[in-house]
Amino acid sequence: MAPDNVSRQFTEQEIVSGLMQSGTNRSRAEEQLFRQYDYFIREGIRKYSLSNDESFDAYSDAVLSAITKVTNGSFEGRSSLKTWIYQIYHNKCVDLIRKKATNKHSVHNTQAISDMLFALPDKARSVVQEMMDKTDKEILSRRLSEIGDLCRNLLLFWAEGYPDKEIVALMEYKTADVVKTSRLRCMEKLRQLYQSQK
Amino acid sequence: MTDNLEYIDNYFMKELTPEESGQFEQRITDDPAFAEEVAFYLGTRETLEAQLAADKKERFRAIYNDREAEAPVVRMNPIRKLWPYISAAAVMIVLVARFVFFNMAVSPIKLADEYMRDNFQNLGVPMGSDNNLLSKSKNLFNEGKLEEALITLEPLVQTESSNYEALEIAGIAALRLEEYDKAISYFQRLENYPKKLISNPGKFYHALALLKRNQPGDQAAARPLLQQVMDEDLEGKKTARKWLGKKWE
Repeated sequence: MAPDNVSRQFTEQEIVSGLMQSGTNRSRAEEQLFRQYDYFIREGIRKYSLSNDESFDAYSDAVLSAITKVTNGSFEGRSSLKTWIYQIYHNKCVDLIRKKATNKHSVHNTQAISDMLFALPDKARSVVQEMMDKTDKEILSRRLSEIGDLCRNLLLFWAEGYPDKEIVALMEYKTADVVKTSRLRCMEKLRQLYQSQK
Repeated sequence: MTDNLEYIDNYFMKELTPEESGQFEQRITDDPAFAEEVAFYLGTRETLEAQLAADKKERFRAIYNDREAEAPVVRMNPIRKLWPYISAAAVMIVLVARFVFFNMAVSPIKLADEYMRDNFQNLGVPMGSDNNLLSKSKNLFNEGKLEEALITLEPLVQTESSNYEALEIAGIAALRLEEYDKAISYFQRLENYPKKLISNPGKFYHALALLKRNQPGDQAAARPLLQQVMDEDLEGKKTARKWLGKKWE
């Protein structure tokens, strides 16, 4: 997808295929996906009486959720991309309305839970979840900015779901094994920083 | 780098055997220090995912703001905002136009003249039937020899069981010759034709002749006839509806 094509409408197939690629192509596909149905934001304002910011948040979250599902293969294409995103967006709006009704101050305090946690069986998950709740995310976030750009970027690619063999090309490593070793070293570095300055 | 970190990564990257995975899961519940390391690994992942989402949201916000700024020129939002007012204005214009149009009185004679001009100039003549009286009368009619056509038809319209087509043509010829009473008489006979016809314009032509004659009481007599044409779904229904929808002078 060329950058000068930002104003044209892309087919759903083009967007999905762009999201399955890596690097710049994926970023452009993400932005195109956002642009494609951004009129939902206005609809949310009208239909659900949300503010512009609230509707934007709901739509952005819907697009982010869709990107994750497309890239990890959860999107099966049983409905059109538009219908599917609208459904996610609609659910986000309804959640937002419910939250507004129950606690006006916690609307934007949503924290996504990593899908990885759900790989664990119930008992182990609840033990880990309890410990994760004690983690100071703000400090961890600050320490992430102190581990160096190389480490940070490497961990961000990992968090975005890129397998090590794809990170090889994206960050010019020699092999996937080197990527893995480097990634775990970066994580260890982060942990030491976090524990020493907690 | 601790061995545990690689072990944890192997589990979540699905690189352990099912047996090894079971042991891993069991260790979480049995060994709090290990569980804490797993929590850190997942907490890091969660924090990174949140940062990625925040970065992307920031990009989306910039795109959205740009598009919003372009909106007055490129997008249809202003028109969408005005749409309810445009729609309301259009409805008002249509209502006013309808009111003016339907309240503008029209002459029933003019309506009848227009109809006759559009429909009573030429009659269809079946091929290969030159010799019978009906075809001969039609030819005379089409040549504008209306009196001759009427005379030719007279033998065919003498009895009650006369040819219905002869009654129709005789009525039309008489109407064009402004022999209204004769025309009305032919159309009434057609209207009450004893045999069931697929299409019978008798009642409509009867009303038409009354409007054209325009004697006192003719308009009042024509209205119920036109209404019956509509109600009974008879030939001329469309024109009858149109005429009844207008205000007559």
